[in-house]
Amino acid sequence: MTIRRGFGTMSVRGTVLFSLAAALCYAADPPAPKPVSFIACPVYRDTNQGRKSGCWVADDHESGARYDIGGGRAKPQIGHEVLVEGVVANSPDVCGGTVLAPVYTAVLETRCPAVMLPPENYPGRAFQVSAKSVLPPMDVERPLPPPPYESQQWVIQFNFQSDFLLYQYSEVILDTAARYIKASGAKRILVTGYAATKDMHVSGRTLSEPSALAKTRAASVAEALRRLGVDPRLMHVSWRKDPEPIASNDGLEEPSKRRVTIRAEM
Amino acid sequence: MPAKRTVGAAISAGLAAFLLSAAFSAGWGAADSATPADGETWWSPGGGREFPPSLSYADERGIITTLNLKGPTDTRGHPFFSPLGTNGRACISCHQPADGMSLSARDIQARWQATNGKDPVFAAIDGSNCPSLPQDQRASHSLLLERGTFRVARPWPPVDADGKKIVPQFDIDVVRDPTGCNTSAVYGLHGKNPAVSVFRRPRPATNLKYLTAVGFVFEPKNGFPLPIDPESGQRMSGNLLADSRAGTLKLQLLDAMRTHLETEGNLDPEQIQRILDFEAQLYTAQSVDYVGGKLDDGGAHGGPETLALSKPGVLKSSKDIQWVEYSPWAAPATASPVSATTNTASAPTTPAGSDAQRLFRESVARGAAIFRERTFLISDSSGLNSMNFGNPTRDSCNFCHNMTRTGMDVAPGQVDLGTTNEPFADSAPDLPLFKLTCHAGETPHPFLGAVIYTHDPGFALTTGRCVDIGKITMQSMRGLAARAPYFSNGSARTLRDVIEFYNRRYNIALTEQEKQDLTNLMSVL
Repeated sequence: MTIRRGFGTMSVRGTVLFSLAAALCYAADPPAPKPVSFIACPVYRDTNQGRKSGCWVADDHESGARYDIGGGRAKPQIGHEVLVEGVVANSPDVCGGTVLAPVYTAVLETRCPAVMLPPENYPGRAFQVSAKSVLPPMDVERPLPPPPYESQQWVIQFNFQSDFLLYQYSEVILDTAARYIKASGAKRILVTGYAATKDMHVSGRTLSEPSALAKTRAASVAEALRRLGVDPRLMHVSWRKDPEPIASNDGLEEPSKRRVTIRAEM
Repeated sequence: MPAKRTVGAAISAGLAAFLLSAAFSAGWGAADSATPADGETWWSPGGGREFPPSLSYADERGIITTLNLKGPTDTRGHPFFSPLGTNGRACISCHQPADGMSLSARDIQARWQATNGKDPVFAAIDGSNCPSLPQDQRASHSLLLERGTFRVARPWPPVDADGKKIVPQFDIDVVRDPTGCNTSAVYGLHGKNPAVSVFRRPRPATNLKYLTAVGFVFEPKNGFPLPIDPESGQRMSGNLLADSRAGTLKLQLLDAMRTHLETEGNLDPEQIQRILDFEAQLYTAQSVDYVGGKLDDGGAHGGPETLALSKPGVLKSSKDIQWVEYSPWAAPATASPVSATTNTASAPTTPAGSDAQRLFRESVARGAAIFRERTFLISDSSGLNSMNFGNPTRDSCNFCHNMTRTGMDVAPGQVDLGTTNEPFADSAPDLPLFKLTCHAGETPHPFLGAVIYTHDPGFALTTGRCVDIGKITMQSMRGLAARAPYFSNGSARTLRDVIEFYNRRYNIALTEQEKQDLTNLMSVL
């Protein structure tokens, strides 16, 4: 069984080999960076390094730290509070805050002042998108994945309290899954939506997702697969609340609960 | 009595004819191009004229040319040119070749004058502010005459593609109703067939392969793959009509027949196919500028031929940059910008190779570079800032106008620029104003909240969603000089007004030179 999360694939055997290699390189593993999560009013810093290049920073009131939160799949919106979940990265400060990477930012409905800052000598960074995050145009011929085929699972994560299929992320996973399903002639497709309904305490507030979100997330993924040519008669759509986090390599468990899994059975 | 071309208030019909003949005698016209010798511009339904392989007319800035690739076309009995409904109109009524296959307010006014308002284009159903008004009075047609807008009555609540009623996420109240149509007991929101009347410009029936092209499978603004037309099995681009109420050209055609032509019964399949085939062979663009000369001269590739030959649905890239057609006109790298002559009727036939021509061409090339490279902060625009780019996000005109050749959006272009929603929309006391209140529990408009005042809810009249209020589908940027005014509600009277709107809306701080360069670029598309 292989589990695909985002674009990465790692088998159990591969994990062991990777761990052995890592042990040979380091006498002692450095302590894992501690995840941080907080709610803040995001600030846009207009560092101009070309298109889509501005910085986003936000203060964690409890620690007093200012973080660079602009590296996530979804950017904040000024005038709306944002839920930040990230891991401190060892990256240079180019925006005026400690860099969080990976980082998840979710726009909340609660309003706050809309604030923009000038560059203030911070260079910012140019926008970059991984080629793996972008689907090629429709007219580009792509061979279907070759056999042998085995049961596969793909995971699509969602923003907090959202069922929106994020651009330059979700479509690549959906496309990969749909093409594999079609090529393999999978007998059954299980689409399972999850919502993190259990209370989460952040910045003195209690947050949770409505259970109905699990259903709408699953429905969104099923509809996307249908439009990609997956036979709806093969799809079994279900939804659950209070999921367990999935083992992940980004050190953040809570965001992994907001997900839909697509499982193709042969 | 056919209408005569009048090119703006400062240009007489005689001067227009002179400009056109001078342009052609200077060798600016295509070899097989035709233009009416008597200056007649208006194509009446059933007129029986032959539609040649290439047809050119003088416009405000030069010459607009439409290629008819399989022409000449005998229009006698042709359904595109025949009055198939009860009001005497045909497709050609609102898709005039002299107006870039759309309709300019200037020619609408000329038509009113020529026919004393009797032309079918002024039909009560949508060529007047409301059918209930006295049709013989000019004031009853003011929105068509002044803004070039036709009444579009959308059923409320909306219905989906299968005809099922959609439960809308918001309520609509009429705040202001200068036309009387939205509060009318017959045509209004509370009439027998409840409808919302909005007023919109006709879109050009040309260059259609670019409107239907699908570059990518996914529609990033809503996250889903584009829907598939059950009839053809092809994906639908989502780039047709201001509110995307029709997914295919055939559905658009049938909608137009039922509403604008008031046909009774259905068209037969052969008629439908003949219209679709004819539309598909038309390519329109500005071909000559009075100052800049031929637009495919000096290494440039302007004009309709490039449109006919190019592949549609191509996303701009470093290999195929936007408006590369005019890159050869760029000034040498060492030259400093010098104010270019804005194209006006007072400089009609600038000699080839003159300084004025060179400066104009350099201005066009600079405008193309500004369009691609001049970034600014795009904010509070639902459809753009509401997806994961953030609000604000820094980018250029090219961000949305990203399809090569036409400047359309490779992904469907439904965005709320603020042309119809307050507080960004221009003042428009002549248009209706609606108050839309999003229901409790529904996701409100991401930037305007749960209560929105708008002249036209746009895409939300198709989807019923709050997030779509004020979104208007982007349209082709070709043939602009022949079809003022601009934006779906005709709120920009000139190309300069379009630039000023964007400059104001996004606080771009364009210099006077940049405004002029962008205006010149748009005038040669």
